[in-house]
Amino acid sequence: MPQTSDDKGHMRESDTAQSRRLFFSKATTIAIGTISLTILPCTLGGAEDEDNAKSSDKDQDLAGPSHEQPLFGFLVDTERCIGTGKCLMACRLENNVPEGFSRTWVERYVHFKDETIQVDTVPETGYAGTEMPVIDADNVKTSYFVPKLCNHCENPPCNQVCPTHASITSPEGVELIDPELCIGCAYCVQACPYGARFINPNTGNADKCTWCYHRLMRGQQPACVEACPTGARVLGRLDDPDSEISKRLAMIPVSVLKEHLGTHPKLRYTELPREVT
Amino acid sequence: MSFFRDTQHVWTLLLLIFVGGAGLVVIRHQMIPATYGDASGRYGPYRTAALKEIAARPSVLIDDSVCHQCHREVEEERADSQHKSIRCIHCHGLCVEHVDQARQAEKSPGSPIDPAQEWDGNFLTTIDLYSTRDRMMCLSCHKNVLGMPEDFCKINLAEHLEENEVENPTNRNVCWQCHGGHNTEYRELD
Repeated sequence: MPQTSDDKGHMRESDTAQSRRLFFSKATTIAIGTISLTILPCTLGGAEDEDNAKSSDKDQDLAGPSHEQPLFGFLVDTERCIGTGKCLMACRLENNVPEGFSRTWVERYVHFKDETIQVDTVPETGYAGTEMPVIDADNVKTSYFVPKLCNHCENPPCNQVCPTHASITSPEGVELIDPELCIGCAYCVQACPYGARFINPNTGNADKCTWCYHRLMRGQQPACVEACPTGARVLGRLDDPDSEISKRLAMIPVSVLKEHLGTHPKLRYTELPREVT
Repeated sequence: MSFFRDTQHVWTLLLLIFVGGAGLVVIRHQMIPATYGDASGRYGPYRTAALKEIAARPSVLIDDSVCHQCHREVEEERADSQHKSIRCIHCHGLCVEHVDQARQAEKSPGSPIDPAQEWDGNFLTTIDLYSTRDRMMCLSCHKNVLGMPEDFCKINLAEHLEENEVENPTNRNVCWQCHGGHNTEYRELD
């Protein structure tokens, strides 16, 4: 490349060295400057986002409770449940739950006098519609029904394991599954300590109780609450001190399932024996 | 000012970085769907649209308030009854088609409303609207089952009929000899 050597030929050796050193030092400065200029807007943007979050927090406080203070809560009064299975049928019809799976189910705990415990699941028809072996009441110390459903935890393990962010918490504190993002990997089914989730064979997605989010948003009660003949299931606003659930929660001792796991369920039960998990 | 003599490379580099950065911002903006993420970024990276989609699912179960819009006399009848908290759907079917027909009839008078059928004895029946006095319907709740609360009205049918000296205990509609459905208070019925 004779032309290039010709171009540089007129420079003196020291001059070239000087300019090369200068070039590198200044170029480095400029490069660092440029990089910091490109990073700076991001950090500024991040700060802006935080400001937005703060202001929306304020808005939320005015409009209603923030996320830390859940809107909806669910109370199951085991002393009122009569185990007829009306809620099971209602849930299946309302949410189109396929046969063999349940979003909610009712367990019967039978404590025998010899300190053993039997747990069975209430059939959908209720015990009146089935030929189940009758337990001799003379041997039974106590027995009661425990309706189960998604606990809608404040610290949900299912959300944490979802690889596609399909498991979400709504601003109302309801745990939901985004059917478009769910890939049906069933990590959440494994993660849920309450066994509330299953893979819906019709959709291939994870499925679970949504507290009938679609009904809540229309101002209706969930199907199981609507169908309960004895008022054993209560859903209401925890943030409203005049709601039925707030009043009842204030009146009675309340327990949650598997409290030691730190999931902070928003599904509360009237005081349960420690055998119920 | 020999320093500025060879700075053309730097300006080229700066231009490239600027154009590349701007392009990145534009592409990112184009590729992220509008429905993605919460506006304030507080509820994790999820599709905000999912909430609306889930909330838009159809509501199937009929509330009692819907029934009472037409059947006001039943509401009054049940107002002070033990069966106040029982839902219409428990004893009369889901009434989904029935409510549709009733709404249709409200708009265009004369459009037909199918009468209630007799219950087929299946606890998971698909009959939309039925009316029954079958004792199994009463027993679907009131049959004495282990685990029921103390204060619930539990019935051992044979004992109950014997105690009250009922004339024809094998009658399917035996409960209706003494009790109503909407108001369960003891009374002589047909």
